[in-house]
Amino acid sequence: MTEAAAPAPAGVEAPLPLSRREFLYYLWGVSMAVALAGGTGAAIWFALPRFKEGEFGGVVTIDVGALPPVDSPPASFADGRFWLVNIGPQTATDPRQPTDYAVQPGIKALYMVCVHLGCLYKWVETQDRFECPCHGSKYLKSDARIDGPARRNLDVFMIEAVDAGGNVIARTEPVLGNTQGSSVPITPEVVVLRVDTGRKIVGGANTKPGGGI
Amino acid sequence: MAIFRIYLPFLDDVKAKGLKTAVRDKYSDVVTRVTTGMNPTDVRMLLRDDPVGRPNPRLKPHSESFWFHMKPTYYHQMMDGFYPTFRLGWLSTYFFVFEIITGIALMIFYTPSPLSAYDNMRNILSNVPFGDLLRDLHKLGAEAMVAVVVLHMLRTYITGSYKKPRQFTWLTGVVLLGVTLILSFSGYLLPWDQLSLWAVTIGASMVEAAPPEIVGRTLNLLVRGAPEFGANGLLRFYLLHVVALPAIGVIALGVHYYKVILHGHSLPPEAEAIGEDTAKRVPMEHRVYFMPKILTRELFYVTGLTGLMILLATFIYNAPPLEAHADPLITPLHITSPWYFLWLQGMLKIGDKVLWGLIIPTGLVGMILLLPYFEVGPSRRYGHRRVGLSAAALSVAALAILSFMGSPWYLVTSSPDQEAVAALVPQTHPGPLRESEWGELDFGTYQAGLWDTAPTPALRELLHIFDEELAKADAPERRDVQGFMVIEDWQTDLKKVTLRVVWTNPDGSPHEFSQSVYLHRDSEYAGG
Repeated sequence: MTEAAAPAPAGVEAPLPLSRREFLYYLWGVSMAVALAGGTGAAIWFALPRFKEGEFGGVVTIDVGALPPVDSPPASFADGRFWLVNIGPQTATDPRQPTDYAVQPGIKALYMVCVHLGCLYKWVETQDRFECPCHGSKYLKSDARIDGPARRNLDVFMIEAVDAGGNVIARTEPVLGNTQGSSVPITPEVVVLRVDTGRKIVGGANTKPGGGI
Repeated sequence: MAIFRIYLPFLDDVKAKGLKTAVRDKYSDVVTRVTTGMNPTDVRMLLRDDPVGRPNPRLKPHSESFWFHMKPTYYHQMMDGFYPTFRLGWLSTYFFVFEIITGIALMIFYTPSPLSAYDNMRNILSNVPFGDLLRDLHKLGAEAMVAVVVLHMLRTYITGSYKKPRQFTWLTGVVLLGVTLILSFSGYLLPWDQLSLWAVTIGASMVEAAPPEIVGRTLNLLVRGAPEFGANGLLRFYLLHVVALPAIGVIALGVHYYKVILHGHSLPPEAEAIGEDTAKRVPMEHRVYFMPKILTRELFYVTGLTGLMILLATFIYNAPPLEAHADPLITPLHITSPWYFLWLQGMLKIGDKVLWGLIIPTGLVGMILLLPYFEVGPSRRYGHRRVGLSAAALSVAALAILSFMGSPWYLVTSSPDQEAVAALVPQTHPGPLRESEWGELDFGTYQAGLWDTAPTPALRELLHIFDEELAKADAPERRDVQGFMVIEDWQTDLKKVTLRVVWTNPDGSPHEFSQSVYLHRDSEYAGG
């Protein structure tokens, strides 16, 4: 080899020149690392679940007759994983409603799963609110969190109110900077509601005790 | 000309030495091979604990045999007592093996599918001979293993045994602690009852909280195999529980134990000069040889402990009975994580799940993992480590407080009517009503306030609990709170018990809440 190392001064280690063989080994090491990363990516892709059409995530159609009456307890639609609430004047003016999130009368479809850690909150008639049995998050019928470790309001699904001719009369609109889904008013011509469980509006931040940003 | 010739040297020996001598020599030969180097006389001298000559034949297996080469040939006399190890590392290994054996036995009757898992469990608990015992053993072993592994870590910390040169041993030990906890937790889902489903749902939702959102969502889908737990999630947890985690455990345990033997068991802190590590320099007069003393004692521990476990599981310990079949649409009231995760559940109640459920626990684990690389004080003496030991004591206290906060007694309350009924028929464990004597639940209607007039002791006790719970519901907005228990003979050997809470609202309207349970004569909630 022409690159024979010159004798090093005593006490100092001579820097080893990078030989071709060593360089190729590094290259090989890098390519193995890249292959491993690719393999890991492929493994994750392999293990991700696939969804079929028609599972939870599709559109659920509900007849107006099945809606809960105004200001009555919410109705559960377990297959679609949501509660339908009919917000009336009494619910809209509930003094517990956080002032940051005013609500209008109408229908909302609340995703059944607690936004804290995935338990199913339930309706507690005595307290006139939803309560999560796991860690005690509390929500109003309007979707607003009022207590507990959850840090935001409930998620709502998109609703379309449809008349007999198939025309969409009203739909859930993202309001307050996409942190709240608007209530869908029910007018006499509405025949069915279509709830799209594939599209939800994530509830707005709500962290204070008693509710509020 | 014969194609095969059978040549038995033993027959030549018989011819040459006579039958008796030949058999004795053959026996000696076989024993020497099996023990990898000890002849029958050596074995007898070992069992008699006679003084041993040189070369020491008892060292032979340590170099020749696979199993014995893992064990040191001798220990320091000081490591022979209970202090300072308390045998906790040994116990952890014992329970790991114990769990593998009982676990494999249970696998025989278990299929990881929501269609069959719950039925398999019922079959194991009520039909398979020793099935109930095996499940109790597996569960008891799991809980004991968690406790022992945690205590082992605490002990290692207190005696400062993580310090140089044992930093990496500590690190692998923390990995093993993680494996133990996740193993235990992944097993939680397999019975596929309400408790399994919802306790594990909470755990998986913590994974989902990992930021940024895409990472959390992907991790969640990978773990559950779907947006919510179902067939895929159960199968994935099963595979984690029986393949992936045990494999990681075996590898980490191998590295951990290799390092333990390489550096020697660290001596009690007061036995060495500060900054010195003399574990591998044991003077002749302080050596306790593995054979026979340690070996026989470890064998005794194995038999004694296994016997104790069987006695405990038979007479004292009962794994919690199955809850109702897992229902993805109903979350039971007061769901709790297993006791060793209550601290985490407590942190989750304090605040934000990303901060308290993920960032802080991850930070803590990272800190514990790397502890020996930044806590590099040279002295292992207790007196020199007041800050470190105080920190440990504070951590233990904090864990205890957080665990309390994780229990349902803290911050999770529902309405008083539901709470009062749940006190008798809780949704996460059998509770007083299901555990009371079936024969004493006489047909009739009883009022909680008049508990002392009930006909049987069991009824009096139940109504008394009911009455005390209802007393908590007393408030200005609820007048005339009353509780009733209605017991009906519903079918042969089946009773229907209805618990009803009524009160009058401030506007004069009545309020009523009721819940019914069915109790069968043979349901064995009390017996387990």
